[in-house]
Amino acid sequence: MISRATAEIVFAGFTALFGVVIAHGAREFGVGWSASGPEPGTFPFYIGAIITLASLANLAGALRGRWRGAEPFMTAQQGGALLRFIVPMVLFVIAAIYLGLYVATALYMFGVMVVQGRYRIWYAALVAIGMPVALFLLLEKGFQVSLLKGPLEAALGY
Amino acid sequence: MENIGALLHGFTVAFTPFHIGLMIVGVLLGILVGVLPGLGAPNGVSLLLPLTFSMDPVAAIILLTSMYWGALFGGSTTSILFNIPGEPSSVATTFDGYPLAQKGRATEALAFAFLSAGFGALVGVIVITLLSGWVQRFALKFSSPEFFAVYFLAFSSFVGLGGAPMLKTIVSIGIGFALAAVGMDSVSGSLRLTFEFDQLIAGVSFLVAVIGLFGIGELILTIEEGLHLKGITAKVSPRDVLRAMAEMPRHWATLVRSALVGVWMGITPGGPTAASFMSYGLGKRFSSFRNNYGKGEPDGIIAPETADHSAGTAAMLPMLALGIPGSATAAVMLGGLMIWGLNPGPMLFVERPDFVWGLIASMYMGNVLAVVLVLSTVPLFASILRIPFAIIGPAIVVICFIGAYTVGSRIFDLWLALGFGLLGYMFKKLNYPIAPLILAMVIGDKAEDAFRQSLIMSKGSMAIFWSNPLVTSLMLLALVLLAWPLVARLINRRSAH
Repeated sequence: MISRATAEIVFAGFTALFGVVIAHGAREFGVGWSASGPEPGTFPFYIGAIITLASLANLAGALRGRWRGAEPFMTAQQGGALLRFIVPMVLFVIAAIYLGLYVATALYMFGVMVVQGRYRIWYAALVAIGMPVALFLLLEKGFQVSLLKGPLEAALGY
Repeated sequence: MENIGALLHGFTVAFTPFHIGLMIVGVLLGILVGVLPGLGAPNGVSLLLPLTFSMDPVAAIILLTSMYWGALFGGSTTSILFNIPGEPSSVATTFDGYPLAQKGRATEALAFAFLSAGFGALVGVIVITLLSGWVQRFALKFSSPEFFAVYFLAFSSFVGLGGAPMLKTIVSIGIGFALAAVGMDSVSGSLRLTFEFDQLIAGVSFLVAVIGLFGIGELILTIEEGLHLKGITAKVSPRDVLRAMAEMPRHWATLVRSALVGVWMGITPGGPTAASFMSYGLGKRFSSFRNNYGKGEPDGIIAPETADHSAGTAAMLPMLALGIPGSATAAVMLGGLMIWGLNPGPMLFVERPDFVWGLIASMYMGNVLAVVLVLSTVPLFASILRIPFAIIGPAIVVICFIGAYTVGSRIFDLWLALGFGLLGYMFKKLNYPIAPLILAMVIGDKAEDAFRQSLIMSKGSMAIFWSNPLVTSLMLLALVLLAWPLVARLINRRSAH
């Protein structure tokens, strides 16, 4: 179980770090006044500083016990459900990069339907093939929008 | 009167069979994304936007705004039938909508929601029609300091009126501005904040951010909460609709109050979500039906729905006239306007009256069409939610990632969408508001340019933001709103003692 306070502290730390990175990155471009007005880094620098300050205030509030007694951020059961959703999604993105979005869609739909939805193989296969075909017709033929393609499309001549 | 003339011209632009066809398609797609968990108005519009790049701007905006109306209606449908708000702005509709539906009066509940939504939208469009000429003339007096002051006012009102914790709203706005600054700097031409990372040279697209933050983030949240669909079947019978219609006039006070709240919150960017909650809260306090609120009282549906839709439509006014979107969806559309090569702001009325007035005219027709379409298709769309999640969940994931890829045909955007999805989940869980981040991403560059140009005009003196009555009053109003959460806390503390 992850408590609300822990989550607040970690996330406030993350946003504070983000602010520091932005402010630091902005300094490279000059933070001040030049002949042509404010230098390009000025605005991002102060934005980074504001993010950091506001995040530190959030962090301080969480450390001082503002979230004591709050509902837990995540229970073990919720965490499990999240992983079962997020892991296949990440695999889908990786598959899309190597195999193209259409093939990745088919594999992802098929995998989730069979493993998590316990559908029969033929039914899952039907949906998993039908969806990319429908998307292909809609996007490539209908709207002339080209999606990321992989080796299978190359072999088919697209 | 010139507005009326312009509007009549707008009707001739908007009412071609092609445009009416687009309205129908847009409304239906909108209801679909509004009903589906994870998809909502902002990312529905984001997903559709890349497909409109080659369209004529008038046709494109009609399609996108119609989708917006449809999504607002779809969101209320699931609130009432499933107790699951399809949109953040229809959360308040669940308070009385679902209890009324549980009593077996689902059709009436839906009819109350749609009719009051239609009324709210109509008030919003009428306000736009009457005020746009005036706002545009007012805005033509603006130069850089005034524009910066208005942008500042927009963000201050998120802090003051948005309802989320003040510091978290500031963090959200800051992240949006920082992301907007990544890539080419439009004033100096230098590449900023790319950290030697080639992928960041083109910047971070706000469309990818919307798809991740709203779409994937929302979906992760849905998974975690576990989908408990205890749907109430609704068959829309005309008799129930008529009965609801006959009862509407009794709620005139709530209708008027809620519409005013909505218009105000739409124009000063508080957004539809804040408007619906505020209106429900006011109704609970002042309505003559207040004792039944929370137990399935029609007045408790009418209050949030009217405000939600009048805010949604009124948000188009500052978007068109000032280039400041009043809601997250309006922010996405504003981005679309810029992609289509239009320049949102007061000059848009002068340069492209056909576009502006065509859009306004289409809003009248689009909303009437939406009420009719949503009433006739509710059973169909409600049945979509009965498709098992093992199919609909991955299908929505696929649509989101395909949408992210079509924005710029970049593999990197797939990773960005994933990252924004996780960020959106954290934002929602920890009560950080997302809409201000999107708004800052879309208008961040313009706000920064206005700030820098003002300082160039004044040779570095901040006094330029107090140099004339107009800019001074805008800045003062913004500072009051910014300080409002602190003041409210002090007052509460004092009255507690």
